[in-house]
Amino acid sequence: MTPKKVQRKEKEEPRIGVYVCHCGLNIGGVVDCARVAEFAAGLPGVILSKDNLYTCSEPGQELIKADIKEHRLNRVVVASCTPRLHEPTFRAACEDAGLNPYLFEMANIREHCSWVHLHDKEAATEKAKDLVRMAVARSKLLAAQEPLEVPVTRKALVIGGGVAGIQAALDLADSGYKVYLIEKDPSIGGRMAQIDKTFPTMDCSICILAPKMSEAGRHPNIELLTLSEIEGVEGYVGNFTVQVRKKARFVTDSCTACGDCVKVCPQVAPDEFNAGLSMRRAIYMSFAQAVPSTYQIDMDLCLNKHGIIACDKCFQACQRQCVDYSQQDQILTLDVGTIIVATGVDVYDPTPLTEFGYRKFPNVITSLEFERLINAGGPSGGNLIRPSDQKIPKTVAFLQCIGSRSKRSNIYCSNICCMNTIKDALLIKEHWPETKILVFYIDIRAFGKGFEDLFQRARREGVSFIRGVPGEIIEDPETNSLTLIGEDTLLSQLYRYEVDMAILSVGIEPRKDSPVIQRLLNLSCAADGFFLEAHPKLRPVDTPTGGIFLAGCAEGPKDIKDSVTQASAAASRANILMAQGKVIVEAITAVVDETLCQGCGMCVKVCPYSTIREDPETKIAQVTQASCAGCGTCVAECPFSAITQRHFTDAQIFAQIDAITEEAPETKAVAFCCNWCSYAGADFAGVSRMQYPTPIRIIRTMCSGRISTEFIEYAFRRGAAAVLVSGCHIGDCHYINANHQTEKRVNRVWKKMERLGLDKNRLQLAWISAAEGNLFARKMKEIDEIIQGVTPEEIEKTKQILVPKKKGKGEGTEPKE
Amino acid sequence: MLKSIWELFNKEDLFECYQCARCTGSCPAAMVMKCYGPRETLLRCLNLGQEAVINDERVWYCTTCHVCEDRCPQEINISELLTAIFNLAAQRGNLPEKIKFGVDLIAKTGRSLIVNEKVLKDRQKLSLPPLDPLNIDEIEGILKKTGLNDAIELS
Ligand SMILES: Cc1cc2nc3c(=O)[nH]c(=O)nc-3n(C[C@H](O)[C@H](O)[C@H](O)COP(=O)(O)OP(=O)(O)OC[C@H]3O[C@@H](n4cnc5c(N)ncnc54)[C@H](O)[C@@H]3O)c2cc1C
Ligand code: SF4
Ligand code: SF4
Ligand code: SF4
Ligand code: SF4
Repeated sequence: MTPKKVQRKEKEEPRIGVYVCHCGLNIGGVVDCARVAEFAAGLPGVILSKDNLYTCSEPGQELIKADIKEHRLNRVVVASCTPRLHEPTFRAACEDAGLNPYLFEMANIREHCSWVHLHDKEAATEKAKDLVRMAVARSKLLAAQEPLEVPVTRKALVIGGGVAGIQAALDLADSGYKVYLIEKDPSIGGRMAQIDKTFPTMDCSICILAPKMSEAGRHPNIELLTLSEIEGVEGYVGNFTVQVRKKARFVTDSCTACGDCVKVCPQVAPDEFNAGLSMRRAIYMSFAQAVPSTYQIDMDLCLNKHGIIACDKCFQACQRQCVDYSQQDQILTLDVGTIIVATGVDVYDPTPLTEFGYRKFPNVITSLEFERLINAGGPSGGNLIRPSDQKIPKTVAFLQCIGSRSKRSNIYCSNICCMNTIKDALLIKEHWPETKILVFYIDIRAFGKGFEDLFQRARREGVSFIRGVPGEIIEDPETNSLTLIGEDTLLSQLYRYEVDMAILSVGIEPRKDSPVIQRLLNLSCAADGFFLEAHPKLRPVDTPTGGIFLAGCAEGPKDIKDSVTQASAAASRANILMAQGKVIVEAITAVVDETLCQGCGMCVKVCPYSTIREDPETKIAQVTQASCAGCGTCVAECPFSAITQRHFTDAQIFAQIDAITEEAPETKAVAFCCNWCSYAGADFAGVSRMQYPTPIRIIRTMCSGRISTEFIEYAFRRGAAAVLVSGCHIGDCHYINANHQTEKRVNRVWKKMERLGLDKNRLQLAWISAAEGNLFARKMKEIDEIIQGVTPEEIEKTKQILVPKKKGKGEGTEPKE
Repeated sequence: MLKSIWELFNKEDLFECYQCARCTGSCPAAMVMKCYGPRETLLRCLNLGQEAVINDERVWYCTTCHVCEDRCPQEINISELLTAIFNLAAQRGNLPEKIKFGVDLIAKTGRSLIVNEKVLKDRQKLSLPPLDPLNIDEIEGILKKTGLNDAIELS
């Protein structure tokens, strides 16, 4: 289809086909689909309207295609599930039949209607009619669009060199792409390098990891950058420019790891790799199998500061002259097409739980410290010893869920600690079979392949599992032995156990510096602090930002197998993009009408991507199409309506407001929801079947930054009882920080309403994440209460006095007929 | 008049409890009176309803010391739950004799223990000052303000 034909079609009278989907009983069980279809048939412009069982099925799609051809449809509206699910399906069907995909529109009558109003079939049907009316109204104003093709750089960046990062880098490198693997520590390996054996197979962790580490170190396609962190990211899918700081190592690549330097170094500090259980020098290698196998100097510890040489012992000791105190940090600029985030996890620090005495009682340790103690390469040469007296303990207790599943720390289950404890218990039994082992738990979660077997084995080998975590641990100051006081809930009996050593099975949590990565890469985080995937089931390793993927524990707590699986998945997703060599940028970008632009520069200020420039001479704004993310924030800001967002025009949104307020506006609320968070939150409420009142009508925009004050005021002028503006939480905006503008604009309208003596409570602003379906449902109940409280007089008064400001408005601020 | 303990305590909070028993493991009352424990009390409320606890004299072993809720990983206000139970139980007249005796004593003397010759002698031995008589009217006023009179009938 040539663009010319599109042009001609646009001018044609709308010939709209409407399809109301039953989705089996999902919609049909609540909404009277036939009645909705019949209603749609009566709407102006609609020339055919049908209800069918599964519109997304092959026959459903074929029907649409056939109708487009037979009835010369130039608009298609499907009322079914969320557009976040099947919009691409139906768009493809339209395209197949020769209809530009941007002439397709959806009404979400499942997630936003039937699933959340299960018990009010009549109101749900009425709402479905409204949603269809909105979709039909918008569809008439849709225009054909041609998306933009952007080339993809065939290089990848992997951030984090734990097992997940290593796996992702190897997969991509083996597929023939150049990969930069960035690790902030001196060696790759991550947590897995620290642990001794791995559940459920009890393999030696470093034995299976070390070969992968060396392979990554010498792979011709992998450039390993250790002691490195990213400092800046610019660009967009397929075309990222990343600034990396490669910190000085002070030892050159010619180091053969002979270790001659270490012996002479006078400076010592706790060894991070051994969880602080042993000491290391200022010049050191983190562990024997480190990759790169090169020493480094910790300059914070070294006696040489700020270029003043106070000690040169290691320099003298090194025969190959690898020590170089003058090395400087390097700033590298990398051009890559895709990025994989594999920054892993921190381990919970139980110090705040004073009742367990961690750090106060030497024989209370964490599970990570245990891994180092039981490891042959660790500080005690693999002997499990009590820190207080270096003796092998006869009785050992494990306390589960420390720092997990708790409002006092992290609310989620850390996923690995149950199995880790079972593994640890078996390891002790293997070396010292006589040891008495007690595991204090709340629930044992042995859900994975081979897990239950391991649990049963531990029980058979004599490990006691006691249901009920101690209330406190007390210490005998003489012997440093510990007494655990608590209740065995299955016996409803109090216990006091004396043990030689207690191991707190600590949870894992997001990296402390993950907000930095989040900001640099413009990612979203779930409420628990882990990076959010684009869809929890269907796009589990994608992020909402194109070209960036997640692997390993950075996305959520998981074991090694799942981390590796996810890493390969992320690599494969990145591979797809790079193999295609190009991406399609959705035709939802901002376009400037040069005849209306006054060169005021407002749009330049609000664009989160700095993608608008003023022409140096004419001052007219220019939008770089390839890097415009399509948030529409500039569009809402322009006082002259000189910018249009393709596919989300003012006229389309006004038409949706008109449709909502056509009948009984005083009983309804107009809601503006952003595609990524609040709309997705509403979808989530639907998927979870959270029930809430029916008055809400949602208008979807890509970003809440698209919502201009005119939209809000217009909704009120049309008599809506309430208006909700909602978006991602501040700091989580999918478009960096566009929601700051949302907040400012809502504040402006609030002030105006206050000044005019209007009830500003009728305008609500809510930050709702994609995970907060419950919050969305609660907000709907609140809004329903607000609607109940609004008087007809208040509505009438608002209509009269909330008039638009007169100055300098261009066309489009008010709906055009 | 209270009809239900859920007027004083948000029932929703009970669902947060996963029976880890860190409360009972911390409870000084449970250490002494083996038949009592906050974990089980909470579970009874949840599974059997309030009637199962307001008629149960064991709840009165709680000293409302707040240690359990200090350590509860789910930040459940367990002592508030017990306070709610006490209130309803008292209104229904389910007040153990010993507790009632103590409350009466406070109302009458301002003290929760009987001050007899032995007590006074012990104080002397410990070189503690003699006990001044208390202003009973003031105490009565305080008790009235706290609503004690509405909750229980003083003898
Ligand atoms: C005590 C303990 C015992 C365990 N036992 C087992 C077991 O027996 N079996 C099992 O299957 N799993 C076990 N696990 C889980 C296992 O460790 C993880 O699944 C695995 O390590 C996750 O790998 P990862 O690569 O995602 O993260 P990590 O191993 O955490 O690696 C992340 C890497 O990224 C680097 N990094 C972080 N931030 C940045 C940044 N900003 N820039 C550059 N680099 C960065 C880090 O330095 C690190 O090297 C255990 C975990 C713990 C804590
Ligand atoms: S120069 Fe620094 S790293 Fe080298 S031996 Fe001296 S203190 Fe240690
Ligand atoms: S894995 Fe087990 S110990 Fe860890 S948080 Fe979950 S239930 Fe608790
Ligand atoms: S400590 Fe809290 S969560 Fe644990 S059993 Fe007691 S009330 Fe329930
Ligand atoms: S408040 Fe009551 S239940 Fe809680 S620890 Fe103290 S005595 Fe036990």
